[in-house]
Amino acid sequence: MQEYKRIEITKDQVVPIAEQMRKKEIYLVMIHGFLNKDGQPDISYEYAVGPVIESYHVVGESTVPSITEIYDTAAEWPERELNELFGWTFEGLDTSKRLFLPYDLMEDQGKGQIMVKPLSELRKLNGTEKEESK
Amino acid sequence: MSYVVPIGPYHPALEEPIHATLYTEGEVIRDAEIFVGYNHRGIEKIATERNAIQTLVLVERVCGICSHSHAFTYAMCVEAINKVEVPKRGQYIRVITAELERLHSHLLWMGIACHIIGHDSMFMHIWDERERIMDLLEKLSGNRVNYAMVTIGGSRRDIDDDLRRDILKGCNDLKAPLMKMVDFVVNDKTIAMRTKNVGVLTRADAIRLGAVGPHARASGVRTDVRVDAPYSSYDDFEFDIPVVESGDVYARVVVRALECVESIKIIEQALDTLPEGPINNGNKLPKIQEGVAVCRHEAPRGQLSHMVVGSGKLENYRVSVHVPSYKNTPTIPHMLRGNTVADAGLIIASIDPCFSCLDR
Repeated sequence: MQEYKRIEITKDQVVPIAEQMRKKEIYLVMIHGFLNKDGQPDISYEYAVGPVIESYHVVGESTVPSITEIYDTAAEWPERELNELFGWTFEGLDTSKRLFLPYDLMEDQGKGQIMVKPLSELRKLNGTEKEESK
Repeated sequence: MSYVVPIGPYHPALEEPIHATLYTEGEVIRDAEIFVGYNHRGIEKIATERNAIQTLVLVERVCGICSHSHAFTYAMCVEAINKVEVPKRGQYIRVITAELERLHSHLLWMGIACHIIGHDSMFMHIWDERERIMDLLEKLSGNRVNYAMVTIGGSRRDIDDDLRRDILKGCNDLKAPLMKMVDFVVNDKTIAMRTKNVGVLTRADAIRLGAVGPHARASGVRTDVRVDAPYSSYDDFEFDIPVVESGDVYARVVVRALECVESIKIIEQALDTLPEGPINNGNKLPKIQEGVAVCRHEAPRGQLSHMVVGSGKLENYRVSVHVPSYKNTPTIPHMLRGNTVADAGLIIASIDPCFSCLDR
């Protein structure tokens, strides 16, 4: 059966763990990320050790070292995705190109964050506010 | 003379939107770049506003061909967080649907490969056989795509005795034409000339770039989630994992053709030993408890992983979908180098790409 093991690490341990795993030819499943309930970044590196997924979490850091050198595109694409969608920095990652976001976002907004506004606010901005139904 | 040749995002040789820029010298591709993101629908974001049953419907729509895989994996994640045990019969029905899906996906891809090669009559023969699988899936679930066979804690539809006989007969009828097809694909001179030594991905490259699924198995990497990390009763069945060493487009055709045979084996075993009992744990809307789970499933294209974060509410806190094409697409530039422009469409298609999965 598949299992999931959560392990907390600091950001200094990211690269040594990746190097160890690479040496043992262990597969990097994915680098996931989300903002936890306190609004802190939670970046997790998932390695498939047999049927067990060992998940190394770095909590509360918006800047972590990149492991692209070690895991090539298997790490590069997830890191670029997290960089584009959350704005977190991966030190050593080439972000001169876009993966998912359009290229024209690069010029004036720099970091590539799409500011998603709720529909109600957009309507206010455009002056097309709906009359509230009674 | 060197040229820059753009292919896509909309191009007759491609099924789905991807943009490739080829840097060529005469006919030969020296370097290539690929660009994705033309099909982004924000499914992960929408999922944070839905409950578990609504999310099942949503994630099935990530992809039309491997729709069951997404619902299957998402359900496994929620069950892992909530510690729900799925009844054996429910697990078997999930496996049967997954394998039928693999069959139809592989046949679809083989048909398209033959079409790109220029072997249109073979394409029609293969899709004719695929239609039988689609009929079986329609009988089983009521739908040709988006089967809606999964619910949290089991399967939604049962397989009765008539249906069991129908599927067994359908699989049995498929064997002879499938063997003929495998034989043809493996031995035909036209297909071999067009695909051998085209788009080679070496074993070292496949491991380095993290290729998955049939794409990796065609490069000699023995990896399959069904065996490496068995789930949902896959360890009850006996089947082989076809591995071919050569790593070219031909190897990918052969691997997929042989996998079809293995899928039929699994379906037959599952139907022969279908356990008695309930198929699910009732249709109650579950709360997703606090916790994180990552589950993997061998989708037709390779390893599919979902991450679900629950917060004790009905809605998901976060769903993250990561599909096999996410790992296979970056291998395309490596395969394109040194090949001719005429083969570019075939090489891009040879990973069985699914860009609507990739962009989500």
